[in-house]
Amino acid sequence: MKPLQGKLALITGSGRGIGKATALKLASEGCDIVVNFFRRREAAEKTVEEIRALGVRAELVRANVGDPAKIAEMFDFVADKFGYLDIFISNAASGVGRPIFDIDEKAWNWTMDINAKALLLCAQRAVGLMAGRNGRIVSISSLGSKFVWPTYAAVGVSKAALEALTRYLAIEMAPHGICVNAVSASAVDTEALKFYIREGLVKDLKQTTPVGRMVTPEDVAGVVAFLCSDEAYMIRGQTIIVDGGTSVAPFAPMIQKGDG
Amino acid sequence: MSVEEEIKDIVSKIAHIDKSIITREGTFKEMKADSLDIVQALVAVEEKYDIEIPDEEAQKFTNFGDFVSFVEKEVAKKG
Ligand SMILES: NC(=O)c1ccc[n+]([C@@H]2O[C@H](COP(=O)([O-])OP(=O)(O)OC[C@H]3O[C@@H](n4cnc5c(N)ncnc54)[C@H](OP(=O)(O)O)[C@@H]3O)[C@@H](O)[C@H]2O)c1
Repeated sequence: MKPLQGKLALITGSGRGIGKATALKLASEGCDIVVNFFRRREAAEKTVEEIRALGVRAELVRANVGDPAKIAEMFDFVADKFGYLDIFISNAASGVGRPIFDIDEKAWNWTMDINAKALLLCAQRAVGLMAGRNGRIVSISSLGSKFVWPTYAAVGVSKAALEALTRYLAIEMAPHGICVNAVSASAVDTEALKFYIREGLVKDLKQTTPVGRMVTPEDVAGVVAFLCSDEAYMIRGQTIIVDGGTSVAPFAPMIQKGDG
Repeated sequence: MSVEEEIKDIVSKIAHIDKSIITREGTFKEMKADSLDIVQALVAVEEKYDIEIPDEEAQKFTNFGDFVSFVEKEVAKKG
């Protein structure tokens, strides 16, 4: 029997990118999946087909997780279709890439609502559906929560909130039998990168990551799957960093080049 | 009010632009609407008419008129 056979995961923003890779990884371990998407229906429908081809059940639900009413509808959908939930992955993220002085209230709220508040509201709804099921919640963060990247302030701050919330959820949800953690990645080769980067950065990142290649969506998905496994039961409230060594060796590229 | 006028209202409020500069031939770029304005306008229009405008469709709009025509078609489909 596959490790996640008979379990159900809801993954926000799983029509593409890291969310999709996570959906496919959990499905390959036997997990049924509810794919949530927002703007890209075609991509999400394709993902659902790919999941079903792995022999598990997959359903599609459209919801803007920045809107509390839509979060409620998404969980109503899961409750109606399944009546239970084992795994919730808070992966969807959006935001505005702007320097600090150009971040207006609208941009700030948009980013915070989707990236941080959504986890709170989703976790509150997930509890009921996870009752007696040894639930798991994993949020997806980024190294921009701790390090300063150009035009990343709004998103970086939202990710810091997400990580702090993950710690609080881990403790307050432990009595409900729910295990909560986060996975944080450095730059991952997905479409999202296009918004933040200059030309040629992907090539540079390959060279400057100590492991010698960029982090892939599958690297992140693998760690998420581990956090959903029995082996990870005693890991609580942690943010596991997946970055090929970048954050522990920030000066490695300079030293290797001999500039130091 | 026509669908076109209603959409103009929504876009002008969200992107803080004067309604009079929104024409069918105009593009969001010319109206100085940024990507957040655009997605919020799309969401507001979706909610007003209870329709869906996926990005895959929105990306095909070359100007405001295409946007309006798409919405009119979807609204007509709903009857
Ligand atoms: N890519 C990176 O370099 C990187 C690095 C570290 C961490 N991360 C994190 O990893 C996660 C996934 O990122 P990614 O690179 O795969 O992103 P991506 O390619 O930009 O995709 C974003 C995903 O989020 C969904 N989404 C956005 N706004 C949403 C909303 N309001 N409601 C529901 N879904 C929404 C999108 O759905 P639609 O397409 O249907 O709109 C899409 O599936 C994010 O939390 C991101 O911060 C990414």
